[in-house]
Amino acid sequence: MNVASRLPSSPAALAERPLQSDKPPFLGFGLGLRAQHYDEILGGNPPIDWFEVISENYMLPGGQPLRVLDRICERYPVVMHGVSLSIASTAPPNFEYLQGLKDLARRVEPKWISDHLCWTGVHGKNLHDLLPIPYTAEALDHVVSRVQLVQDFLGRAIVLENVSTYVQFNNSEMTEWEFLAELSRRSGCWLLFDINNVYVSAFNHGYDPMTFLNGIPADRVVQFHMAGHSHMGTHIIDTHDHPVCEDVWDLYVAAIKRFGRVSTMIERDDNIPPLDELLVEVNRTREIAERVLPPLGKQAG
Amino acid sequence: MSDFARQQADFQRGILTGDDTVLAEILDSPREKRETLYGVYRYAYGSRLVEALRNDHGLLHSYLGDETFDEMGHAYVKARPSEHPNLRWFSQGLPEFLRSAEPYCNHPVLADLAALEKALNDAFDAAEGEVLDLASMAAFAPEQWNDLKFQPHPSAARLDLSTNASAVWLALKNDETPPDAATLEEPSRILVWRQDATPMFRELAPEEAMMWDEAANGIPFGVLCEMLATYDDPDGAAPRGAGYLHGWITSATLTAVST
Repeated sequence: MNVASRLPSSPAALAERPLQSDKPPFLGFGLGLRAQHYDEILGGNPPIDWFEVISENYMLPGGQPLRVLDRICERYPVVMHGVSLSIASTAPPNFEYLQGLKDLARRVEPKWISDHLCWTGVHGKNLHDLLPIPYTAEALDHVVSRVQLVQDFLGRAIVLENVSTYVQFNNSEMTEWEFLAELSRRSGCWLLFDINNVYVSAFNHGYDPMTFLNGIPADRVVQFHMAGHSHMGTHIIDTHDHPVCEDVWDLYVAAIKRFGRVSTMIERDDNIPPLDELLVEVNRTREIAERVLPPLGKQAG
Repeated sequence: MSDFARQQADFQRGILTGDDTVLAEILDSPREKRETLYGVYRYAYGSRLVEALRNDHGLLHSYLGDETFDEMGHAYVKARPSEHPNLRWFSQGLPEFLRSAEPYCNHPVLADLAALEKALNDAFDAAEGEVLDLASMAAFAPEQWNDLKFQPHPSAARLDLSTNASAVWLALKNDETPPDAATLEEPSRILVWRQDATPMFRELAPEEAMMWDEAANGIPFGVLCEMLATYDDPDGAAPRGAGYLHGWITSATLTAVST
């Protein structure tokens, strides 16, 4: 595929021009769609406000996964969440991947499309992991221009998530929250605030998660992720194979107080329990929000 | 190369090859050394990809057992790093790897078993297509039949296995003890396809396999029957051809017919 022909043609085209788009709507309290729950969801219409689907799981030629997705989309609002956009990679953009993402979005009509502030590989390789970046001006410039390119290609603002990280680079010039705030301001992308990831990274790097939380511009956050992790003693690994822990629930309360009414979902990727068990956690996100926030009709703004 | 690009290259090389250059740019945390923290990425890389292989090749995993499968999986990960953004396609090269890499190539049933699982996986999420039904065939007058050409369903695929891998597959699928691996005198001719949502396979007789392969190449029915006449009783060629065709249509392996 001719990459050069798809890139902005002049330096002027690369100038900062945040893509103006309406803030995505509040969807309520949702869950990550997993194949283990297909039958229960389609057979029972469980009380879940919306589903997040892993984009790559449906970037397929056809068959049962896409058929099920079509039926889910008929019943529930859906957002697309990718793991391979590799927005911070210094490799050339993968337009074949972007076209697949765009084609899926045309089918799903998601409320928004999200991925992670990370990279997954360079030099033609894909490590299938959410790899960390240094928080430098050079990296920020690169990611801002890459977000603008992706948003132009997709014709919509994207949503980017903070990832769990296990290392920090000695050449970072700013904090992760400063980087995210600047990225959102300059590119116009929205933010997916993963509360568990904030907790994990804060523990791993020895800072206060509240400092991170308070450093994120409140009006740019459109989604929360809630998930479990594995504590290794000296560090925490973001495994998504446990229930949400109490510390992360506490941080969720603080996040609601700062960010207000934000679409929230439970994310479970391994050791997946029956749907009922996850519904308990989904209901808890709802109950806490209803307790902490004023009723919808009385909320200012 | 920019500093950012150079750093990403070092970071990736450290994961893929064990090179430690990037550690000079990573900080210790308040509680842990950088080697351990960077090791989280190194470990996750191999384990995630081997897990993907386990998901795609559940019966090969059963056949080899945890230890041997994981050893094989890590060898594959090292030999064939993923080049596709979607993990779905990472295992596509496994049959070829098993066919060519020591010591696995000395046990051809492994490559065949992987090839059969790959074909079934591919049928599962293959493109959608119309399913040709018998009523559509009734629209053609008898004199048109010689010119009829058939289009396989997008999920349909043929493979030839040199071993009894299909019998091994079937036993493993039914939680039975698989037969001893054996190399066949004649290859086993397998047709794989998706019926509604379920991937299927069956073994074809040599004559039917020949007819399927030629039909998939666009050879019209009349010529197919002439070819069948060279395989067995010439007088029964047309009825045999019609019989195979009937089976293909009723099992949803064809998507279109045209003259």
